[in-house]
Amino acid sequence: MEYLLSLLVYLSNPWVKGLVGGIGLALAIAGSIVLLLWVERKFIGRLQHRYGPNRVGKFGILQLVVDGIKLLTKEDIIPDAADKTVFKLAPIIGFAIAFLPFLAIPFSETMIVSDLNVGILFILAVSSMAVVPTLMAGWSPNNKYNLLGGMRAAALMISYEVPMGLAIIGVVMLTDSMSMVEIVKAQEKIWFIFPQALGFVVFVVAAFMEAARLPFDLPEAESEIVQGWTTEFSGMKFAMLLFAEYIHSILASLLIVILFLGGWHGPILPAPIWILIKTFIVMLILMWMRATVPRVRIDQLLNVGWKVLIPLAMINIAFTGTARVILG
Amino acid sequence: MMPLRKFEYEEIGEGRLVINLGPQHPSTHGVLRLIAELDGERVKKVLPIIGYLHRGFEKIAENRNYPMIVPLTDRLDYLSAMSNNMVYCQAIEELMNIKISERTEYIRVIVLELQRIASHLASVGFFGNDVGVTFTAMMYTFRERELIINLFETLSGARLTYNYIRIGGLREDLPKGFENNVLQSIDIIEKKVDEYEEFFSENEIFRRRTQGIGVLKLKDAINLGATGPVLRGSGLKSDVRVTDPYTIYDRFDWDIITEKKGDCFARYNIWINEIRQSISIVRQALNGLPKGEINVKIPRVIKPEPGEVYSKIESPRGELAMNVISDGTPKPYRLKIRSPAFCNLSLLPTISEEGLIADLIATLGSIDPVFGEVDR
Amino acid sequence: MEIIAFGVISFIILLASIGMVASKNMVHSALSLAVAFIGIAALFISLEAEFLAMIQVLIYAGAVVVLMLFAVMLTKRDRESPR
Repeated sequence: MEYLLSLLVYLSNPWVKGLVGGIGLALAIAGSIVLLLWVERKFIGRLQHRYGPNRVGKFGILQLVVDGIKLLTKEDIIPDAADKTVFKLAPIIGFAIAFLPFLAIPFSETMIVSDLNVGILFILAVSSMAVVPTLMAGWSPNNKYNLLGGMRAAALMISYEVPMGLAIIGVVMLTDSMSMVEIVKAQEKIWFIFPQALGFVVFVVAAFMEAARLPFDLPEAESEIVQGWTTEFSGMKFAMLLFAEYIHSILASLLIVILFLGGWHGPILPAPIWILIKTFIVMLILMWMRATVPRVRIDQLLNVGWKVLIPLAMINIAFTGTARVILG
Repeated sequence: MMPLRKFEYEEIGEGRLVINLGPQHPSTHGVLRLIAELDGERVKKVLPIIGYLHRGFEKIAENRNYPMIVPLTDRLDYLSAMSNNMVYCQAIEELMNIKISERTEYIRVIVLELQRIASHLASVGFFGNDVGVTFTAMMYTFRERELIINLFETLSGARLTYNYIRIGGLREDLPKGFENNVLQSIDIIEKKVDEYEEFFSENEIFRRRTQGIGVLKLKDAINLGATGPVLRGSGLKSDVRVTDPYTIYDRFDWDIITEKKGDCFARYNIWINEIRQSISIVRQALNGLPKGEINVKIPRVIKPEPGEVYSKIESPRGELAMNVISDGTPKPYRLKIRSPAFCNLSLLPTISEEGLIADLIATLGSIDPVFGEVDR
Repeated sequence: MEIIAFGVISFIILLASIGMVASKNMVHSALSLAVAFIGIAALFISLEAEFLAMIQVLIYAGAVVVLMLFAVMLTKRDRESPR
């Protein structure tokens, strides 16, 4: 027992910390996807006046496991006229890029894999790289539905990046630093949702766009273009793309909590539990919107992204800047 | 497979994409194939290809005796089976000059209006599905539809194809307690319809997706033969129950709902308001329900004189009509059905030009074709 | 330590650049360019300029490569050129 505890000193070595933290995070995220997907199916089912899955396992808990096994055992079809290298790489790269931002997210003051001093910029940069595997997945199967869905998804993704960055600038202006730990520490007295109300609204809409959730779920608008940009992918490839999208939505909720809702600050419980509770509540709101709201059309969505969110975010920056200068 | 005549011999323009919203599709109300020529996301041309559900109804009817055709008519517009039964029995009764009893007329009106409520609830639910509310709206409207379908199950034993309205009367009289059940169900539905209207009409995203989309001008509607909610949505006050009254509709007091704009939102509004009008008609009919016999004496073998009749009713989708030509034998010589969904569907290429794909799906949902009727 | 990192990263950048120039398929070239950009960002990190590295990823791999991919995918090509 003491031997194991004495090994903990190795964690100060950044190599070991990175490795252990990375693997631990990957397992934790995978576990949380399974749990959250089960909660989503039950919750949306209840909102729609029906039970969710309740046959497999006690409350349908094993449903996700069984779905995963089903997807694993399906035949992996590669269309003849597809670009084979890019077709095989797209889900892999998408899945990998989805995990990367979690390396810079603090779950408490010391529980962070690597406390970069440009943490928030790192997260923004890696999220913006997620457009590339989407385009790859849209182009490579050489299929019209995929192409339409891929183009829509790419248009959606580039329209959220600028408002998101501008909203983050407001937060960074209030904390004087881009490190994630500093941003949460600065919310000790008052959560940033109050001084940055406009930035909060802009960021939440941009985060919904990033998560590609209703009302912005055009890329896989089921009732229009069958499965959108994941049409030709089958079996495990499809599962990877699906999980990558879901991880994006978990990341979006985590960012909302850390940047605006106070991170780990809370009265009695230890710090990581507060972050998990708050993220869970934000994800419940995302699921709630998915069950209730119709879908926005692509040109209306681009309208919102470019003509409404960017001016609002700029007004927010101007306001925060002048307030900062006046109040010191 | 049907050849693509139109596109094979026409040049597809530069940079255009031809996609096939194929017969199996999560959102085309049945089996419909749409070939759309797109310019980016704008729809330039749409060619609907139908016939996937063709069962040769009119030919089969030529080899069956008149009473044997009644269960077949159920399967035409399967979402509103009572209306199909009604138009056929009305045609034969007109052909043979059968006078049906008062009680039957009242019960037929009650059943038809309940069927209209059920069909419009289904239309609203499916329309919400097309616009993007994944299944939530459908689950709730179908919960109310279940109330009506359970009522019909006590009447006829079946949930979708009732075979209740027969030539000369009905299958059997109302069971005990039916009137109270109907009144209770209607009260629940009336409250819920207000909820649904709030759910949809106050939702900004829904309004943006449906207002100004799929606009059908009045001139086009009249020239292309639209009827039903599609025609009334463009401004013309035309309803078969008023222009050519059948059974006893002239004894009841209700309004014809029209809207001016002709877009998807207008048609959806007509559905919601027509549910309310049907509720009021059912209440009035239940109030005046007389006692008496259901069935009248008709000959054992139905053999009409040689002649022809064209009889029409207002089904939930529009003007449903049947043209029966008899030649003195127990089997009809020709039975022709004028189906409203078929004529409304032929409007689709005109009103979806210059829209986006999402608009095409929303417009198709608001026209609401049922393919049992379109393909027969 | 730094020499090994520099060697590995430069090797990746060289491979990516050669792949970009020598590939017959335009989408493959654009993707190799993205790899080269990320390699350059890694070099920036080894020079202790993290901010510049993140901006490089954000702008180049996130926006310029996307622009190039859009341009490749949305323009018409001759029938004979390979996909």
